[in-house]
Amino acid sequence: MSTPTIEARGLCKSFGPVRANHNISFSVDAGELFCLFGENGAGKSTLSACLTGLYPPNDGDILFKGEPLRMASAADAIRSGIGLVHQHFVLVPDFTVLENIVIGSEKGLIVPYKEAEAKLRQICETYGIEIEPNALVRDLSVGERQWAELLKALYFDADLLILDEPTATLDIENSKKLFRIIDKLKADGVALILISHFLDEVMQADRVAVLRQGELVGIRKTAETTPEELTRMMVGRDVEPKHREHSDVGPARLVLENVTVAGVGQVPDLNDVSFTIHQGEILGIAGVAGNGQNPLMEVIAGVRRPAFGRIILDGVVISDKAARDIKDMGLGHIPDDRFVEGLVPELSIEENLILGDHRGEYARGAFLDFPKMRQRAEQAIKEFQISTPSADIPAGNLSGGNAQRVILAREKRLATKVLLANQPTRGLDIGVIEYIHTRLLEKRAEGVAMLIASSELEDLLSLCDRIGVLFQGRLMGIVKTDQTNLEEIGLLMAGQPLENAA
Amino acid sequence: MIELVPRSSTGWRAQLAAYALALVLGFTTSALLIAASGASIIEGFGALYEGAFGSQEAILQSLVAATPLIFTGLATVIAFRAEIWSIGQEGQVFAGAMCGYWATLYLGDAPGLVSIPVIILAAMIGGALMGGFCGWLKTRFQVNEIISTVMLNYVIVYLLSYLLAGGPWTEEGSTSYHQTPVFTDNFHLPLLVDDVKLHIGFALALVAAAICWVILKKTPLGFEIRALGFNPTALRFKGVNVTRTVLIIMCISGALSALAGVSEIFGVNHRLRGDVMTGIGFTGIIVGMIGGLNPIGAVIAALLFGALANGSLYMSVLSDIPPSLVPAMQGILLLFFLTASVLVRYSIKFKGPAHV
Repeated sequence: MSTPTIEARGLCKSFGPVRANHNISFSVDAGELFCLFGENGAGKSTLSACLTGLYPPNDGDILFKGEPLRMASAADAIRSGIGLVHQHFVLVPDFTVLENIVIGSEKGLIVPYKEAEAKLRQICETYGIEIEPNALVRDLSVGERQWAELLKALYFDADLLILDEPTATLDIENSKKLFRIIDKLKADGVALILISHFLDEVMQADRVAVLRQGELVGIRKTAETTPEELTRMMVGRDVEPKHREHSDVGPARLVLENVTVAGVGQVPDLNDVSFTIHQGEILGIAGVAGNGQNPLMEVIAGVRRPAFGRIILDGVVISDKAARDIKDMGLGHIPDDRFVEGLVPELSIEENLILGDHRGEYARGAFLDFPKMRQRAEQAIKEFQISTPSADIPAGNLSGGNAQRVILAREKRLATKVLLANQPTRGLDIGVIEYIHTRLLEKRAEGVAMLIASSELEDLLSLCDRIGVLFQGRLMGIVKTDQTNLEEIGLLMAGQPLENAA
Repeated sequence: MIELVPRSSTGWRAQLAAYALALVLGFTTSALLIAASGASIIEGFGALYEGAFGSQEAILQSLVAATPLIFTGLATVIAFRAEIWSIGQEGQVFAGAMCGYWATLYLGDAPGLVSIPVIILAAMIGGALMGGFCGWLKTRFQVNEIISTVMLNYVIVYLLSYLLAGGPWTEEGSTSYHQTPVFTDNFHLPLLVDDVKLHIGFALALVAAAICWVILKKTPLGFEIRALGFNPTALRFKGVNVTRTVLIIMCISGALSALAGVSEIFGVNHRLRGDVMTGIGFTGIIVGMIGGLNPIGAVIAALLFGALANGSLYMSVLSDIPPSLVPAMQGILLLFFLTASVLVRYSIKFKGPAHV
């Protein structure tokens, strides 16, 4: 039996009290595509950082081609034949593609640019990557930058290539292209580790290792497993298919009349938007991010002011009220950016849970009501399954999913009449998404009017009664979820107006 | 390669050790400086110690010198915690003293029980208005508070110069001294200890520190101050009136600085003059920083700097050490303390080839 390209034996890595990887063992052979599958925070990225020498493990061994791994930096890793394609780009915008690849990686004082360029063009041709080596990275599109990252790894003839969520920034066409390249690399005998939480991609691997809370749940051959089994292993239980009970909508609750929000230049951020959401109804907003979703949510919540138009909540005009007064009327707002708009990362979970109510419910006389805060925190951590050692941990230390649970816990309680949710599931994994959907549907059953903006059409189709599409600040139309299809919504998102809006 | 890695937690013992070490290293470096100036280290430090702690009177005098620094240190803590970089403490000290003096012109021979609270109140209002003005410029016109507060320092310092040098507040017949006449007894801050000038300002400073600690730790306002420093956007999204919070913070900070002016002028000098207040505000910024932007820490740092200031008077009389070395020593201590505060929060990793 041949030596595996890379082998981990009993690998452990902790950050203080947080156990990121515990007792992980696996091996990847040359020419194999091995997938690490797991929720956000399951330990996938830590594991890949250990494999490339970025973090020294606390315990266990890593063997690379049978030899113990020794390296001090990413450059070391690249030179010894381990390439890592990062989830986040680590390219210098003012350098060319070529410079980004060779500088800091080539040994010696003088960089042989000519030879390097020739080699790079050769690689591009072999793998069918269309990119100009002398183009500045700043001029590249997001997708092209992903290719540049990949080229960086290919340039050094990697024996092991680790791809960390490589398709996150690629469209469908380019994702397919990436997998064609992966197939070619496999044929060339490169061992590949793919980190992903998209099931479609995962099933293209040869074998899948499922991680949960830092531990290896199991390794399956994709030929012998199903997406359902993998999902079950990832979340640790069965995922129930979402079924929405049909509920009758009540009277109008939130009404927008010709709302316009001024933009920076002459183009308004939100242009003459009108709609009504009834009690117990969910209106979804589809559209590519940046088409007016944030201004829409913020103008309703009172964070921004409309230039024209009125917003009415249960018959009361709220568009001239302060954010705090609107909140006190029963409006909850899950904002777009969790760690900027939703939380104060440096404050504790407990403090973040009362943010906004620190002068009301959680004040006793001139002081904060600490016993009540603690009680609230403990209850929320339990109810919303926020995984944290204590309520005193800074919110910034939480994973995206747990941070979103903190915001959800806070806003869900406030939202007795209206709940705004802006990209509530962005970047989260299936388990958390399902959980958030369930909690949102609970609110609908209580008669709360909900507005959900999401770039994930899945979200909208499984949650919303009606779906509207924003395009360049205009509401292109609203369709009933059960009478529409992806194609129709797709056309609206591309700026085609609807003939007869619902 | 050197890397700063955040520490998950640091025990109080380790923190204490770090700051004690900073103190020792700071004095060691100062000793080198003294040696370089040609004076005797032992003689110098001996005199410094004698002046700062050598007798009961010396200790009390050190407390007197620390009093205004506690106030300006607290003013720094309140503003900097909210990440409002107010450098206006210096001007606000002057403004406080000037408003206090202005009040005395209308108080005549009112008894101390009436005049002292009025003076304190007038001073606090003056300081608060100055701080609040810069807060208003910041929130209304997006004027950077560093610029507005620094510029206003000059305005107020030179305004006092004008008032005292030939202006309406000049002492008759002594234009060359730039000062007002000595106050009548009813305008002197009452003394805590007879014969030494330890006045009620010191007690007031400790009370102010306690109040600041309670505000920051226990009240909704303190919650907002801390949150504002970290992330004003989230506060705004949660409906907090950030403009109002900034104004309140600047007013509190200004009022605290003003109290430093009151204690220096009405507690120690008993006449209004500019030179005795120079530097109290700027030193207060150092005190606040060394105190880790914590009210208790600021008190401790102020006591250290008070002792240093008081001891240095003695040192410059008794030894050959140039008095200008004292601000240099303060700077050296600041550097060591800031280093310690970084090391308490981060560990330094020297990255070499690691093996697995």
